[in-house]
Amino acid sequence: MTETLSLDSICAPSEDVVAREIEGELIIVPLASGIGDMEDELYTLNETGKAIWGKLDGARTLAQIADELAQEYDAPVDAIARDVNGLVSELVQRKMVVVQ
Amino acid sequence: MTSQISAIEIQNFALWDKMKSKRSLFSFDLEITARCNNACRHCYINLPAGDKAAQAQELTPAEIGRIADQAIELGAMWCLITGGEPLLRDDFEEIYLLLKRKGLLLSVFTNATLVRAEHIALFKKYPPRDIEVTIYGASRESYERVSRRAGSFAAFERGLGLLFEAGVRVRLKAMALRSNLEDMEAIAAFGRARTKDFYRFDPQLHLRFDGDPARNAEIGEERLTPQEIVALERADEARFGALQRGCDTLINQDFTHFGCDHLFHCGAGNGSVNIGYDGTFRLCSSLWAPATTVNLRQVSLRQAWEEIIPTVRDLRSHNPEFLQTCRKCALSNLCLHCAAHAHLETGAMDGATPYFCQVAYARAAALRDDPSYADGAPYKAAQNQVGG
Repeated sequence: MTETLSLDSICAPSEDVVAREIEGELIIVPLASGIGDMEDELYTLNETGKAIWGKLDGARTLAQIADELAQEYDAPVDAIARDVNGLVSELVQRKMVVVQ
Repeated sequence: MTSQISAIEIQNFALWDKMKSKRSLFSFDLEITARCNNACRHCYINLPAGDKAAQAQELTPAEIGRIADQAIELGAMWCLITGGEPLLRDDFEEIYLLLKRKGLLLSVFTNATLVRAEHIALFKKYPPRDIEVTIYGASRESYERVSRRAGSFAAFERGLGLLFEAGVRVRLKAMALRSNLEDMEAIAAFGRARTKDFYRFDPQLHLRFDGDPARNAEIGEERLTPQEIVALERADEARFGALQRGCDTLINQDFTHFGCDHLFHCGAGNGSVNIGYDGTFRLCSSLWAPATTVNLRQVSLRQAWEEIIPTVRDLRSHNPEFLQTCRKCALSNLCLHCAAHAHLETGAMDGATPYFCQVAYARAAALRDDPSYADGAPYKAAQNQVGG
């Protein structure tokens, strides 16, 4: 599944998870069985992950997301693109994000 | 590159500590119906399955969704769906899914007799955190003596079997009462054979929310004597051992509340609230005193959380008998007394219930392994000495 992911991919959160922000933390709550690795777990994203998650809207490509974040954080786009690709690959693998 | 996503077991989530440091709503219990297909003798809430008036008062899925949204705004992560028997509602699946899709972690309390293939499919696809099932008896005779419904034991066994076969996480519990007392050993064996860690029993019966005198008389008849309760607790070695190890924290004069006239020293309304089938908001499942409830059809959950709870928790007692006894008693951690139960028993949140005292004295005598404590004399003497 991760093999098909590229910076041209457009991704969105799966309908089988809900993201909630509590006390400034982004928490991903799996709804359906088979999401994540183990039972009885929640998932959190760090600050970079949170910024990326917020842009996974099913409209932007991963490259566009990386460009936007590079401008917002005044950081090299290549490094940001690696972060975007790394996180989204992991989320796709965990079935928390779907490639459209 | 380090991973930007972390999986954390729910019980180890640092967020809970952050939430505890301020006043946050962690969870809410949602009684989606007071009706039940069983007619258990000891039940504090059950109304007949066909009670049309009660059914007409039940919160609709839209109302439940609105309340859940407000609970989530206040931070809620957990919701317990209970009743009555929640699977009695035709729209159970709709309610379950709408709560689930809001990102709430769900538990369900059920008697399991109505579990059908469609519930199993639902729970397999969208797993609850757990489903808690009560064992009323380990045989048809004792089970149906409690449930008063022919065929209910077979339905219970069938439903429970379906849940286990599907791998749904099930916790088992039992209520210990006169009608199943002789079967308690078999009930414990039944429970422990099916779940390793989650079997528990409760011998303390509450009176009914609606004050029905005939039903309350039945509950009174079902209550075990203090000696029977202690004998049951002694027979459960793990439970009794834990109580004994915690004896100094359970029985401790330093933990009493000398000079304080507050009615509430419990956790009611701290982090968790209860929502009744008709929208009645309560600080806990037992607190039905009229001055302490509001209806969420008229008042928002935020208003109840921010205004009603602090007001209720600030209520005081002016009853000298209460202030000289219960409020100063070192056995409060072994006792069923609280403002809610006192109200159900006596009509007053600071009323005395001798049965509760007797149970607490008997439990203390057993934990201290000293029969001279069984009449409560040492505690009564301490109450007279400290604080006048």
